[in-house]
Amino acid sequence: MITREEIIKQTNEALKKEFEFTDEQLVPSAHLKEDLGLDSLDAVDMVVVLEQKFGVTLRQGYDWRSIATLNDLYNFIEKLAHTSNQ
Amino acid sequence: MERLRICFNTVFLGGTALVWLAVSTLLAAPFLLILRRDSAVRKFVYIQSRGIVFLIRLASKGLRVEKAPRPEGSCVIVANHASALDLYTISAFGFDNVIYVTKGWVFRLPFFGYVMNAAGYIDAEKTSPQKMLDLCKKAVEKGCDVVLFPQGSRKDPYARFKSGAFYLAEQLQLPVLPVAIVGTQKMLPAGEWKIKPARIKLKSFPVMSPKDYTGELGHLRMAQDVKKQIMDFVNKENEK
Repeated sequence: MITREEIIKQTNEALKKEFEFTDEQLVPSAHLKEDLGLDSLDAVDMVVVLEQKFGVTLRQGYDWRSIATLNDLYNFIEKLAHTSNQ
Repeated sequence: MERLRICFNTVFLGGTALVWLAVSTLLAAPFLLILRRDSAVRKFVYIQSRGIVFLIRLASKGLRVEKAPRPEGSCVIVANHASALDLYTISAFGFDNVIYVTKGWVFRLPFFGYVMNAAGYIDAEKTSPQKMLDLCKKAVEKGCDVVLFPQGSRKDPYARFKSGAFYLAEQLQLPVLPVAIVGTQKMLPAGEWKIKPARIKLKSFPVMSPKDYTGELGHLRMAQDVKKQIMDFVNKENEK
């Protein structure tokens, strides 16, 4: 089973590669829209990138409004990864 | 000598530019109101912009334009963005029927706002992605090119190219024409008002097709490739 640390590491790696973020920007409290500047199209792209990274379907349960920060995103992926393993 | 040049550029050429924009708008407004044609407004903006490019040339240490062949029909023009002058420099390539997709604050400026609305330019902050697609489609049907600055802001000249412009190209199946703007950042950086003399270089690259970027993340890959092409050129020129 994938650990939370691994989820954080892989998510950050994907975001750095695809969206040119730095380690300093990728703190758990970072707001996706206000701090990282992700718009609605970026959010869709991010979901596709993370789906490819983790091999899970995120878009069905993904609600942009309920995932405000990076920490929310880690929690969401963690929950989904654990559900799909059960 | 440098200080004298900055003073001349800022007071005389900067002042002339503002007077040119204001007076030409006031003089043209009655005719544009009678004509009520957005294409006439876009042509007028092109003429205004060419006037500003002439003043930029006078203020610069030389302005060079390198043009790649443009496609037969409409295209999406994307450029790096580091100065308020960039909006005008696009006219140096001879694109005389373009619509800009730009930030909302520009629409709220006196004179500029009126002209931008009348020309059919699109406020990126107020318009939903679907509505933007529809408006751009209509503009393309009228023979317009669509101009976007994918960095979205002048604050960071090396900022990421957001993928919206490339998504638009993908959805409308329009070729993308990358444009590099070098030197305007030195001449008039964001947040400054002194116009410094600088060497300006404008270069358009061969068009890129969205057909070469397939898959769900095609537009993201295209954004990354276009940024690399433009910024490699900008960095090389800045090192000279």
